[in-house]
Amino acid sequence: MSVQRRFSKFLGLAAVGALTVGLAACSSGGDGGSESGGDSGELTTVGFVAVGPEGAWREANETNIQDTFTKDAGFDLKYAPATNLDQKSQIDAFTSFVDEGVDVILLSATEASGWEDSLERAQEAEIPVILLDRGIEPDDTSLYVTRIAPDNVEVAKEVGAWAVEQFPDGGNYITLEGPAGVGVVNERNEGWNESVEGSALVQVAAQTANWSAEEGKSVTETLLKANGNDVQLIFAQNDEMGLGAAQAVEEAGLEPGVDVKIATIDGTKAAMQALADGQLSYVHEYNPLFGDTALDVVNKTLDGESVDSYIIVPSEAFDSAEAAQAVLADRKY
Amino acid sequence: MTEPLPIVEMRDISIEFPGVKALDGVDFRLFQGEVHALMGENGAGKSTLIKALTGVYKIDGGSIIVAGQERQFHGTRDAQSAGVSTVYQEVNLVTNLSIGENVMLGHEIRGTFGVNWRATHAAATDALAKLGLEYLDTHKPLSTLSIAMQQLVAISRAMAVKAKVLILDEPTSSLDAAEVEGLFAVMRTLRDQGVAILFVSHFLDQIYAISDRLTILRNGRYEGEYLTRDLDRHALISKMIGKDLGALSSLGGNRRVEQRDYDAEAPLLAAKGLGRQGSIEPTDLDIHTGEVVGFAGLLGSGRTELARLLYGADRAGEGELTLHGKRVDLKNPADGLGKRIAFSTENRRDEGIVADLTVRENMILAIQAERGWARPIPRKEQDELVEKYITALNVRPADPNRLIKNLSGGNQQKVLLGRWLATKPELLILDEPTRGIDVGAKAEIQEAVAQLAEDGVSVVFISSELEEVVRLSERIVVLKDHQKIGEIVNGPGVTAQQIVDVIAAHGVAAAAESDIIDAEADVEPSNDPDTAHTPASAEEES
Amino acid sequence: MSTAARTTWLRELIRKPFFWGVIAIFALLALNVIKDPNYLALSVNPVNGNLVGNVVDILRASAPILMIAVGMSLVIATGGIDLSVGSVMAVSGAVAMVFMKDAGQSGSVGVALGAIGLALLVSAILGAINGVLVAYIGLQPFISTLIMMLAGRGIAKVITEGQNTSATNDPFRWIANGFVIGLPVVFLFAIIIVIIVGLVVRRSALGLMIEAIGINPKASRMAGIKPTGLLLTVYILSAVLAGVAGIMSVGTVMTVDVSRTGYQMELDAILAVVIGGTSLAGGKFSIGGAVVGALLIATLDKTIVFLGISSSATPAFKAIVIVVLCLLQSDRVRGWFVQRRKPPMLRTPSLPAEPKKQEVSA
Repeated sequence: MSVQRRFSKFLGLAAVGALTVGLAACSSGGDGGSESGGDSGELTTVGFVAVGPEGAWREANETNIQDTFTKDAGFDLKYAPATNLDQKSQIDAFTSFVDEGVDVILLSATEASGWEDSLERAQEAEIPVILLDRGIEPDDTSLYVTRIAPDNVEVAKEVGAWAVEQFPDGGNYITLEGPAGVGVVNERNEGWNESVEGSALVQVAAQTANWSAEEGKSVTETLLKANGNDVQLIFAQNDEMGLGAAQAVEEAGLEPGVDVKIATIDGTKAAMQALADGQLSYVHEYNPLFGDTALDVVNKTLDGESVDSYIIVPSEAFDSAEAAQAVLADRKY
Repeated sequence: MTEPLPIVEMRDISIEFPGVKALDGVDFRLFQGEVHALMGENGAGKSTLIKALTGVYKIDGGSIIVAGQERQFHGTRDAQSAGVSTVYQEVNLVTNLSIGENVMLGHEIRGTFGVNWRATHAAATDALAKLGLEYLDTHKPLSTLSIAMQQLVAISRAMAVKAKVLILDEPTSSLDAAEVEGLFAVMRTLRDQGVAILFVSHFLDQIYAISDRLTILRNGRYEGEYLTRDLDRHALISKMIGKDLGALSSLGGNRRVEQRDYDAEAPLLAAKGLGRQGSIEPTDLDIHTGEVVGFAGLLGSGRTELARLLYGADRAGEGELTLHGKRVDLKNPADGLGKRIAFSTENRRDEGIVADLTVRENMILAIQAERGWARPIPRKEQDELVEKYITALNVRPADPNRLIKNLSGGNQQKVLLGRWLATKPELLILDEPTRGIDVGAKAEIQEAVAQLAEDGVSVVFISSELEEVVRLSERIVVLKDHQKIGEIVNGPGVTAQQIVDVIAAHGVAAAAESDIIDAEADVEPSNDPDTAHTPASAEEES
Repeated sequence: MSTAARTTWLRELIRKPFFWGVIAIFALLALNVIKDPNYLALSVNPVNGNLVGNVVDILRASAPILMIAVGMSLVIATGGIDLSVGSVMAVSGAVAMVFMKDAGQSGSVGVALGAIGLALLVSAILGAINGVLVAYIGLQPFISTLIMMLAGRGIAKVITEGQNTSATNDPFRWIANGFVIGLPVVFLFAIIIVIIVGLVVRRSALGLMIEAIGINPKASRMAGIKPTGLLLTVYILSAVLAGVAGIMSVGTVMTVDVSRTGYQMELDAILAVVIGGTSLAGGKFSIGGAVVGALLIATLDKTIVFLGISSSATPAFKAIVIVVLCLLQSDRVRGWFVQRRKPPMLRTPSLPAEPKKQEVSA
């Protein structure tokens, strides 16, 4: 999977005719081609150590950042996506930003651990580092300015709370998870369990569907049979799996939203549409659009103001067709 | 010869394969310091007996005693560690590795840090020196050697493990006379050192030249053990085939005696200056309808290389080829086949049979290739065709659905001959069709060739056995050092010796010129006979 | 005599390379039955008369694997490999989805056929590129198709502009989700295609020639077989079958997920082929074996979910089943098994019946 990412990046770069620059970026993690250098004397230089192609959410997120830190806004953003989600390429990019002496570094780490040395170097060079979305391990807040991210645990907790409220008399539920062992999956499980524990809801199965609609459908289809259709709730940890589950529920002769309620996290446009159509019952956004927050934090940091060490990006919950309908028109992702 | 305890004694050995009794109560003894020939027709059970001894096959009855101990080997490695080494019928080496690595494969000399290559190559050179091959560069890839030389390397490899028993299964089938003599010298040396040698060869001359004792098998049964000097050829062959020789003696009467007027008829195929860099010098050659043309020459003389150009197995680099008076360019075998030319390779295992396919599939492969995959030959037609050639060529066992790899070499050769006959060729090129096969099968193939010519098929017949070439051919093209050096119109007075003389005489002439050639060698390295020794391997058509 | 006949029959069966695959399918089904005695029960949906049941689900899930496994077995028989099938599935799915999304008309059969035609055409082109690289340029199949595997995902992303793309088209959806006379359409399609491919390959000389070049390319060339056209045909066929698999795959949810559709399916296909007894070294192939392999993989996937094996243990469970299966298929292990059967075998009179595949050597 990672290799194909590289390829799509490759294609993109080729398209803008920056093939050689792109190849260099793979190894040095330098200028990824979004900016062609030039005189940036009055501009604030921002190095963005990014994740790169990963999915719709990431794309919305990184595009949003790039659209925010524009030249018009007074920034020269150097975008350096990881090669193959490889941490080493990120560290290389990070180091070269430090050597270049950029004004501020934005970091979305592909892996949580192993950042201490790099962050210390940035600190010595007096370059502030702001974490976007992904945190680091161990979480030494003295090494960075702040982390801006929606909170997975918090979001999942809200979904759980909704579920408990919907089923005061209890019921059976299935959890559709992402790939085993991924941090997001653990966090979403953690938040959900926090709310659901002690309630009358019973988890009859938890199974990975690898974030995919097709697998979500296939897994749900079998789990429904394994439980004799005695399932009232499905918690899908992302939208795609939930959308697949909805189709499986229908094909099993059950009615989504009536017989089986489906709750998902992410809030993509397709999920909003499904919520509006009554296929899904609850969608919790996991807000990727926090460019403005980041811009604000960067400005404050450069002005010497202090900010909180963790800024939670607010995410909205949608629990009705009407609510979904209202935002559908200008949903960006 | 006094008879101490045999180093190998096999008693009452039986091996059964479902439906077939491959060996039935066979006895065999091998003494130290003797060369013991194992005799029998193809399919008599020679290879099976050897495989029983080396642990490739499990025996179903009887006992094997090696050095006084009853043994049951599980695989060749087991046998090897007990001092029994084997060189198989077909060369079985890793052509990508170097000569030295092949000799020492599995016995590399290890130092503190893995393989000590320097010592390994030194040991390989030693092993090669015993065969008089010390001039070989052990670092060169094996693939740079001719098949004949690879065979010698295989023997060196067997010797590298200090074997007490050396099994040579058809080691001479691809060697020329000088090489055979070299091998025999080594075998005698080894024998005098007390090594017991089990030797299999189809050349009776060689059996009489080297062996002390022989054991004869027929149809999987023990026929008898004799001192070689006590048994004359006639008696030996009779015991091998189980009937009197009468029928075979009449061979050779097939040779045509009438003379053609070569200028009067247009040739079927004419080559003018046909050549290919590094494999064969530009050559002129005419082949007429219904004529058997022999290519005589030693291994590496260019006889195979020339034949490959006539089929399109290799594409000619220069010169022109006309067929029925029309210019043709044969880019690949399919082109040759399309022009009604067929080529039976000398390298049966690598370029001939498709091992995991059946006899039937192997036989129809060429005609099917010509028709294309979309027009399959109806099964009924296939069966009739295969039946016809199995009967005509006496393929044994006569089972079209048996995998060809489970047939003996001679029968594989007959199946391949059937494959080419099925294409109804106007020109059939047979490269060493009789190598490594027994007397009976050889006679059958020779008869088939004579009959083909009678029926109007032109045949190019290539063989290391000059007698055979002389017996069958109307004209003999003599090759040496990658060029045609002469052409002899066959007649009553022509003998194999005459051909040898032509080759030898040219050699003297060439030696006289050799100073000049040496001087030119720097300028044109591609003409270096050493590098050009290997037949140019099939170059892929692009 | 009847026992003799039976042992011979049993022995013949054990010799079939895919014998253990069949056993494994039954073992997995048995495992499910232990968990739920009604596992194998089939019921009829009273509304539409369709068959409902776990077995039906397995058959549906096996359809795309069947497609790519059959293509893969031909490619592997030539001595090659096609790593690009998963990516071609994604491209095919992407082409179909984008086409239908742009065309609209959710009920139109014409749009569905157009989407399928276009998807298969694009797949065939990708296969042809593989074939040209392998047959004419002479690149190693592993490298050529690896390039296509990487490029394919990129192409799929370009086609969909990186987004998961959904569309609505009922006829198209019917292919993956519909039923005919109570049976799932997608499985019927798969079986029909397998039978057609099987017939074409075995009734024509294609199978023979593929095996010949897989077993001994040099000898095949000398026998006049031109490998280039054959290889091109085989790689195109593999890609087109992958395209069909892609259509089946995206059809189930009417969404193409460029990073997940067909993801790692090439591995499933290779496994199915190996389970079916085709050697990765090329040569003899068995389409029946590939079918067994594909069914086994689908059964395995479904069993894991049905038994509720935890997500983290899933890869290990899958690996164990496949390792055990491969062990059982190895000649050596099979040798042990046959060995144990040997004493009674020897007592049976050696039949004059045609000795088929025994290893007899002179």
